[in-house]
Amino acid sequence: MKNLSAAFITECMKLRRSKIFWITIVFFVFIPLMMGLLMLVAQHPEIGKKLGLVGAKAKLFGENNWEGYLMMQNQLIATVGLIGFGFVTSWVFGREYIDRTITNILALPVSRSAIVTAKFGIIAIWCLLLVLIIFLAGISIGHLIGIPGWSDHVFNQFANKFLLISGLTILLSSPVAFIASYGKGIIAPIAFVIVMLIMSQFVALVGLGPYFPWAIPGVLSVPDGTEGMKIVTGSYIIVLITSIVGFFGTIVWWRVADQK
Amino acid sequence: MIRTVNLSKHYNDVKAVSEINLNVRKGEIYGFLGLNGAGKTTTIRMLLGLIKPTSGDAFILNQKVHANHTDLFKKIGYLVEIPYSYPNLTVRENLEIVRRLRFLPDKKAVDNIIDKLQLSDYANRKAKNLSLGNAQRLGLAYALIHNPEILILDEPTNGLDPAGIFEIREMLSDLAANKGVTVFISSHILGEISRFATRIGIIHQGRMVQEIDANKLDVLCKKQLLIVSKDMELARKIILQNGFSNPIAQNGIMHLDDRKAIENPEQIATILVNAGCPPSLLKVDEENLESYFLRTIEMNGGIK
Repeated sequence: MKNLSAAFITECMKLRRSKIFWITIVFFVFIPLMMGLLMLVAQHPEIGKKLGLVGAKAKLFGENNWEGYLMMQNQLIATVGLIGFGFVTSWVFGREYIDRTITNILALPVSRSAIVTAKFGIIAIWCLLLVLIIFLAGISIGHLIGIPGWSDHVFNQFANKFLLISGLTILLSSPVAFIASYGKGIIAPIAFVIVMLIMSQFVALVGLGPYFPWAIPGVLSVPDGTEGMKIVTGSYIIVLITSIVGFFGTIVWWRVADQK
Repeated sequence: MIRTVNLSKHYNDVKAVSEINLNVRKGEIYGFLGLNGAGKTTTIRMLLGLIKPTSGDAFILNQKVHANHTDLFKKIGYLVEIPYSYPNLTVRENLEIVRRLRFLPDKKAVDNIIDKLQLSDYANRKAKNLSLGNAQRLGLAYALIHNPEILILDEPTNGLDPAGIFEIREMLSDLAANKGVTVFISSHILGEISRFATRIGIIHQGRMVQEIDANKLDVLCKKQLLIVSKDMELARKIILQNGFSNPIAQNGIMHLDDRKAIENPEQIATILVNAGCPPSLLKVDEENLESYFLRTIEMNGGIK
């Protein structure tokens, strides 16, 4: 515990001073703002014309109401979240290699496992904060632009799904940490996230989305009853196993791999 | 305190380090000397458990080194190659991170080491804005913050100015002499190391080619008598006629490596003056340490 708390405090110190931390927060505020703008355009096509937006008449959210808006938010967290949380993970692990500070933290009284676990801890907190920001900003902007059709039932249904999708997406960050450690930087893990995102689109197209870890949050975000997009109990187990493998794989890598 | 047994590291066909056997005693300053790429950093990384040896073992304080020997690392301070810090954190914050990761309860440890390494003026400066010399001092501060029993330093004076080099040298000498700290220090500059190391190991192409006590370096360095005269040919003949070995002329200077002549240069002066060929230069020249180092390496495979 002493190991973990020492490592965790130092991770907090690093995060506090990191520009990337503040950039991700701005980015995750920007996304619901853009969503709000699109919803506004969908509700008032004349604004779209004034702004020169193409396809302003298109139905961007299925239905231009809270249900459509919140569903879009779910789909957003499943995709942008995957990229965003992947980036956060890549940064937390990869920065030690980019800044070449990795050597400083490997031959210390604090164990390498504690350092890795603390990094996962800070990633979880950072990502949860981003989830909270996108959630609150999305709801606030929705109210601000006066989207019709708000109800507690719609909100509860959305909130449960949103948190579930966010949780699953965060869990999928651990393999990214392994790639960042293996690749000694942030390029390889970001490339990995992008490839997984592309692959999940193809896998979902052939109806195997519920069985491919990186497609599962996306599958969850589509409306119930969509063909080939039904989540099964195994889907959750697949994400959990992927996450556990990523977590322990990263710890083992840090403990045994040569650090040149 | 530090011991290696046939320590080797191979990367496929490349033998980065081959069967290194070291034994560094308490309070000793061991200078680990070699050209760039000789295997110094690889050896140091194995001593710190950063990389696993292909074969052989490293022991520190009689305990086998491995990556997860956290108790052992409490007693070791280290600096490997160019020290890097978190660029957006200040000097103080970077040291605070090390203090916490080393479980040092004394919060003053950071201020103390800042003072000791004369980083006070830069304590609140971000690491990315430090000069190379101050970044190096910060790296040394990481290594020294916990008053370690063992110091393993890889080229610690890189980037320091002459005053800084002197200061670090004095500090390490003091730690070894007065606090019993064992220092293992690598460098590619023999002249620098020989000023304070008590023993020197020369590594070349991954192999230990020589281990010597620093105080015996003088004996091992070649000496020559350098002679210049207006008539060099006549001087050479006179020297030969008086039973000395044949001097070799090089760049207008005669090099005489006859032991009797080196020990008694005044005899040569007398002989030459009496023969009407007085020397305009007569000097006992001792091979400098760099030259000795390079000669040692050349005898062991040369520079590739």
